[in-house]
Amino acid sequence: MSTVDVTGVTAEAGPAPVPDAAPGLREDTPASRRPGAARAWLRLLGSEAGLTFRRPRNLAVLAVLGIIPVLIGVVMRLFAEPIAAEAADGPGNGGAIFAQITGNGLFLTFAALSVLVQLMLPVAVAVVAGDAVAGEAGGGTLRYLLTAPAGRTRLLAAKYGNAVLFCLAAVSVIALSALVTGLALFPIGPITLLSGTTISFAEGLLRIGLVVLYVTAGMAALAAFALALSTLTEVAIGAIAATVVTVIVIQVLGVIPQLAWLQPYLLTQWWNEFDGVLRDPVAAGEMGQGLLVFAAYVVIFGSIAWARFTGKDITS
Amino acid sequence: MTTEAGDHSIVTRGLTKRFRGGQVAVDDLHLSVPRGSVFGFLGPNGSGKTTTIRMLLGLVAPTQGGWDLLGTPMPGGVSAVLPRVGALVEGPAFYPYLSGEANLRRYDAADPAADPRTASRRIGLALDRVGLTAAAGKRYRAYSLGMRQRLAIAAALLGPRELLVLDEPTNGLDPQGTREVRALVKEIAADGTTVFVSSHLLAEVEQMCTHVGVMRTGRLVAEGPIAGLLGGEAVRVRVETPDTAEAAAVLSGLGLAGVRTGAGEAAAELGEQAPERVTAALVAAGVAVRGLAVQRPSLEDVFVGLTGEGFDVDG
Amino acid sequence: MSEQTQQRRARRGRAVRWGVPIAAVAVVAGAVGAGPVIAAVQGDPVLPERTAEQLLADALQATKSGPTPMSGTVLQTASLGVPGLPEVSSGMGGTSPAALLTGSHELKVWYGGDERLRLAMPGRMSETDLIVNGDQAWLWESDSSTATRIKDTGEAAGHASGKGPGHESGHESGHPEALPTAATPQQIAKEVLQRADADTAVGVSSSEKVAGRDAYQLTLAPKDASSLVKEVKLALDGETFVPLRVQVYAKSAAEPAFEVGFTSVSFTPPAPENFTFTPPPGAKVKEQSLDELAKGLGADPQARQEKGGKIAEGMRTVGKGWTAVAVLPFSAQDLKGLAPQGQTGEEAGSPEAQAVTDALLKSATPVSGPWGSGKVVRTKLVSALLTDDGRLLFGAVTPEKLTEVAGR
Repeated sequence: MSTVDVTGVTAEAGPAPVPDAAPGLREDTPASRRPGAARAWLRLLGSEAGLTFRRPRNLAVLAVLGIIPVLIGVVMRLFAEPIAAEAADGPGNGGAIFAQITGNGLFLTFAALSVLVQLMLPVAVAVVAGDAVAGEAGGGTLRYLLTAPAGRTRLLAAKYGNAVLFCLAAVSVIALSALVTGLALFPIGPITLLSGTTISFAEGLLRIGLVVLYVTAGMAALAAFALALSTLTEVAIGAIAATVVTVIVIQVLGVIPQLAWLQPYLLTQWWNEFDGVLRDPVAAGEMGQGLLVFAAYVVIFGSIAWARFTGKDITS
Repeated sequence: MTTEAGDHSIVTRGLTKRFRGGQVAVDDLHLSVPRGSVFGFLGPNGSGKTTTIRMLLGLVAPTQGGWDLLGTPMPGGVSAVLPRVGALVEGPAFYPYLSGEANLRRYDAADPAADPRTASRRIGLALDRVGLTAAAGKRYRAYSLGMRQRLAIAAALLGPRELLVLDEPTNGLDPQGTREVRALVKEIAADGTTVFVSSHLLAEVEQMCTHVGVMRTGRLVAEGPIAGLLGGEAVRVRVETPDTAEAAAVLSGLGLAGVRTGAGEAAAELGEQAPERVTAALVAAGVAVRGLAVQRPSLEDVFVGLTGEGFDVDG
Repeated sequence: MSEQTQQRRARRGRAVRWGVPIAAVAVVAGAVGAGPVIAAVQGDPVLPERTAEQLLADALQATKSGPTPMSGTVLQTASLGVPGLPEVSSGMGGTSPAALLTGSHELKVWYGGDERLRLAMPGRMSETDLIVNGDQAWLWESDSSTATRIKDTGEAAGHASGKGPGHESGHESGHPEALPTAATPQQIAKEVLQRADADTAVGVSSSEKVAGRDAYQLTLAPKDASSLVKEVKLALDGETFVPLRVQVYAKSAAEPAFEVGFTSVSFTPPAPENFTFTPPPGAKVKEQSLDELAKGLGADPQARQEKGGKIAEGMRTVGKGWTAVAVLPFSAQDLKGLAPQGQTGEEAGSPEAQAVTDALLKSATPVSGPWGSGKVVRTKLVSALLTDDGRLLFGAVTPEKLTEVAGR
């Protein structure tokens, strides 16, 4: 027995054939549990990230997310007075946050996130997470990844890890763009929280960091849902559209008073809870509960994605 | 049934795939591919070749039956065995917005057994081997059909392989490309690697393979060394002549079996006779010989004999 | 290995695989439902048994000595079935007083003892705070970035609590600043306790769980069949006897028509920072007396009080306890002037108020009898009868009882 050696690398890369002694016990994959398996997985994750962040479509999505805070900032700067007056008129709908921007540039970050978290950000996440498996299946590349062999569980984990990275990147792009715009166009200084307490600029930055992490966690929960849908189809756009439609339907369900009992279980309701960071004391209880809800979504839809993907016939 | 690890690269035991619609794609397949062979997996389009290959590689779960790859029972051994198996399944598939080289790097990253430190060298060598070095930096989108096919073969050659599974490797290639692929397969086989080639082209299999298995509507209708299969069919001699009766008499006189006559020709099984002796005897008997041909049996004859069906030779 | 074995393994593999998400759902559902389940499992009283009498005494004792320092989140839910109130517009963020009549509202409470209190009503990206620290009181509204210093706090506090049910019962929420006080369990519970007398069936259980704390629950059910109230449930903390939850059940619905209770509570004294307030830079700072403030918030109490006072002069009550009916001279014109208004509170008779009034009148059913004729409005807990001869009768009783009273 010999091997094709196109490489000049003579060392046997794979493990030696295992003796037939206990074939029945050879369930899943010793390869993924070897030392160095973690490093190999990180290489796969790096490859996923490289693909995601080199893909023109995804870059365009990130660019759009980055431009919107700039637009909000410029509009606020040019037409600040009428908008602020109008915003103050609408009680309880959060419009007042826009009025705050003109007073403190840091508020642009919170205002931009509170606008984008409703739909734009979920759409961006759906584009990447919904595409994750369905896109590879549709393009036929999934069969080559699996015969490489990437390993189904391992590949799915890398796909999800990459989706979470994208969530973080998308939220960070919004936050950074808003921060830079806010600093350039508006005065900076100590920040007044929603509770009327004032904190220093540095602590304001810290709280922006907390918001970024919380919103990322919320988006990661959506990514798990989109990934589960992605394993059900070979048409990426189908998984993406289904995710976006679901988000919209849930948003609608969330405002119907007869369904108030449902609200604590709806993902979208918890995304908005990031404003707890702007209270004094920080509404850790609500946000902690939000994180638990996100974790529940990740566990349920992650396991559905796993059960589906590991048992699926790859016929594309 | 057990097999010695080492004497067969692929063994299937009653492999069956019934899709959800109830359609049986592969039916009770018993296949043995000896190590070091070039195994031609032959059958018309839709005969279950690709489904079989997908099952062998763990992409599709069989409804029934089991199989070993490189002596290891599957599908449990997928992650241990597949790094030593290169595969081209149902045509090339790559990321259009990446270069050829970046595409190979992507698949290499998916293999947990691949050493990232040698990746660049292995990718370079694989590209060189299929003659794509010059186009390595070009986006896959800009590749021609033949270049895409060759890149897919390069992907199958990224690491040291004990088994290559090539599904229709010459699809979409021009005659020059086809010749190159054949040469490459022979070269790889010469290194001792088992090559499992599926094809619907009889001539291609006949020229490359040492062993052959013939599929028809999901069932294996013949399997064995190519020489053995052809050995079942006799070599015939055919004489073109206006004097068919005399010619037939001469052939019978030489002791040839299966003598037949037709319009302007007579034919018989050649057996142990040398063709030149037959020619001499015909001429000596005054038969007007316009032409004489020795017909060696082809796979097509074997296939027609086995199935009573023709083969779409042109694909 | 035989093919059959492999077969079975494949099938088992599939079952095991889908078992994972099923187990995940079960675990999450278990975690969500754990509270009630655990409470049910631990159904046996953890607290020593107490009779209603003992409990009432203990509770009254506890109320007398004043509440202990605490903090927590209060959730108020109302579905009073008042016709014409827009149910959709008021989400969690609604801070208008009328909004409290429908939907659910969250309120955060910090009580530090020594007249130190902070109430916060969070909205989406907004917050309204009331901070009382001794003789200082501030109202902070983040929406308009306004800090209002309230003068005469001492009097105001007395005013707020002294302004009893008589003033309030007509339309639940007159003054906005009275809201928070009326919405804490303590205030409402006190009121309920005072009413517990001979016409009430009192029950007690010692196995309730509210906001994660073991609690006693008093059940007060009116004995008179003509009452619209089925029962009032009052949960008291097992240790401190602080009221944790009040639920009012109407006879017409299984869910409470009104509920206010802690969803989380802690009896560790809250941090002192909660009770200090300095107007942030850039905020509008106002100084107002309580009445001015209320005016600013839209209720126009002056006019209403004048009018209300005039009307109240002629008011008398028929019956007592659960089925007391108030009778006063009144007309549809007066109703328009009194209608609860939105926060912005432009002139009386704003479109919003007009709409509510119209809807109320439209939903009224005409009735007539030997006593005359009029219109009846019925909600889950309260009925009102406006007679054509200019009387208004209302109470937590069936319309039949109202017409009976009208005939007297």
